[in-house]
Amino acid sequence: MSFLVVAPVVVAIAGVVLAFLVSRWPRVQRATSAATGAVYAGTVATAVWRLVLGPDAPGAAAYQLGGHPAPFGITLVLDGLSAFMLVVAAVVGLASITFSVVFVERDNQRVYYHPLFHCLLLGVTGAFLTGDLFNLFVWFEVMLMASYVFVAFYGGARHTAAAVRYLVLNVVGSALMLLGIGGLYAVTGTLNMADMARRLADPAASGIDPAPVVGLSALLLVVFALKAGLVPFQFWVPAAYTTAPLPVTAMLAGVTKKVGVYAIVRLYFTVLAGAAIPVDVLGVAGDSPLSFLAPVLAAMGVASIVVGGLGAVSRDTLEGTFAYSSVGQVGFIVVPVAIAAASTGQLRQIALVAALVYALHHSLAKSLLFLSAAAVSDATGTNRVRDVGGLAGRSPVLAGAFFVGILSLVGLPPLAGFFGKFFVFDVSIRWYATAPGWAPLAVFLSLLAGALLTIVYTTRTWTGCFWGAETPAVEGSVVDGRQLAVLVALAAVVVAVGVGFDPVYRFAETAATAATERGDYVEVVFPDGGGAA
Amino acid sequence: MSVALAAVVGGLFAVGTFLLLRRNLVRVVWGIAVITQAANVYLIAMGGVQAPTHDLVPVLEGHGSEVPQTADPVVQALVLTAIVISFGTTALALALSFRAYEENGSIDVAEWGEEG
Repeated sequence: MSFLVVAPVVVAIAGVVLAFLVSRWPRVQRATSAATGAVYAGTVATAVWRLVLGPDAPGAAAYQLGGHPAPFGITLVLDGLSAFMLVVAAVVGLASITFSVVFVERDNQRVYYHPLFHCLLLGVTGAFLTGDLFNLFVWFEVMLMASYVFVAFYGGARHTAAAVRYLVLNVVGSALMLLGIGGLYAVTGTLNMADMARRLADPAASGIDPAPVVGLSALLLVVFALKAGLVPFQFWVPAAYTTAPLPVTAMLAGVTKKVGVYAIVRLYFTVLAGAAIPVDVLGVAGDSPLSFLAPVLAAMGVASIVVGGLGAVSRDTLEGTFAYSSVGQVGFIVVPVAIAAASTGQLRQIALVAALVYALHHSLAKSLLFLSAAAVSDATGTNRVRDVGGLAGRSPVLAGAFFVGILSLVGLPPLAGFFGKFFVFDVSIRWYATAPGWAPLAVFLSLLAGALLTIVYTTRTWTGCFWGAETPAVEGSVVDGRQLAVLVALAAVVVAVGVGFDPVYRFAETAATAATERGDYVEVVFPDGGGAA
Repeated sequence: MSVALAAVVGGLFAVGTFLLLRRNLVRVVWGIAVITQAANVYLIAMGGVQAPTHDLVPVLEGHGSEVPQTADPVVQALVLTAIVISFGTTALALALSFRAYEENGSIDVAEWGEEG
């Protein structure tokens, strides 16, 4: 059954190849591409059910590529955390590819749109599944290569300029990632994450000195923060998100951003948490790499919330607003991760659950909003809030889907966003209760400010675009029915996650447990407990 | 040896960073090429050279020959992968810079319009 671990990767590769093979027949290519998206979602669902969530499931499984046993070959691991992220990727990916087929101009789809889209999905899938640090770098590159081309896709002055900046920035990030990985290899003598976790937990047994690990992990943290678009590495986000085709932006904001967050959680909580290394950050002493992560990530998260919120309020287009909003919302995801790093036991567990639930909510709601913005621009020809008005009367269905998206972003029950916000505030208050001080208080206040800013900019887009009299751009505009169908389906998912929250919560709990239970992870990769210790 | 390698890596990073901060787009592309190569040299250096044993090169054991000093093969495999990736990225960067030059009418990055 362990072949199911590799199945999503195989389906994504098949998607790339098939889309190339049928590229001479545009209609067939569009159908194939959407069908592969559906097969991908089905494969992920099967793998997750059979291996992680189902009644007979082992809870986690590893696949050794080429049959080379770990740590010599490359290992793919599907555990609770990977499963959770893969499900998010599958839902957003399917919505995004279906929407692409009916949204992107036919001629533009004929170029390399579909192979590239599946390439992006492939990179994301590999990054979520791999159990090998260098392999993670390779999947990052696969993902980035596709997104460079997507940012430059329309080929205008704006697009190429944004793509060049995006590329240069990420190449520097990749070089830093190689430095971090090479350093970790030199220190621990392995690239396999499970093996590295095992060696770091007991450095004396394998004769290594783990002291440089904290500094090297900081290099990787920079790279992952760059991918996640956290302040101070957020400056590429607005340009890239507003120039890529909007369905791809939904994918970039919904899924590839989360790869950065996932990598932070995986690296620090699964691999490095066991290392006992004295750390001293700004006079706060600790004894593991997590004590370094907590203050740094909390500061980044708080700054992202403030910068993203203020930026979103001041934008004059829908996608510009949501691009800055993505920066702020990722702040809401990493603040609980920082709280998890700062605390132990049960609070660490629920803080990670909060981060995962918020990540799920943000992926769904933000891709819904980017796709709605695409539908608005397709119908009216503009995305400036000033030029659009009275859409609610013109298309109540579009208005309804958009409304669900922004209400979820604000955090109203019974939508997915309510539980996200609720848990984030809950762990923030619990953190203050266990460790009263100015830091938890400042974090709590900035969360509150971020939530208020969210209300401001979502209200602004809503009243600006959907209420009031119809502007000239809106008069006579027709919203495509097939686009509406995708939006309604995605909005239904947002509502369903909120209404039927119990199974989602248990899934997130499984994922959080998988992230922190280092022993289980090592056990899955080294089933006989042996190997070269 | 390690001092020389450290100096080379440091020098390459310095040159790469300097080029990266230029306003001329072609220099920037040179910069990313140099920086990735610097990272590759660093990766090779991380492997180190190990004392010769038959454990390290099992294929020589049956032949009874002397084992020479052995470099770590893992990092070389990594660098090979990284070189191929940087090859592709640099090619894309060059193509993209030409298109960006055509579209923006300037090779000076600072003269391009700002993004909103």
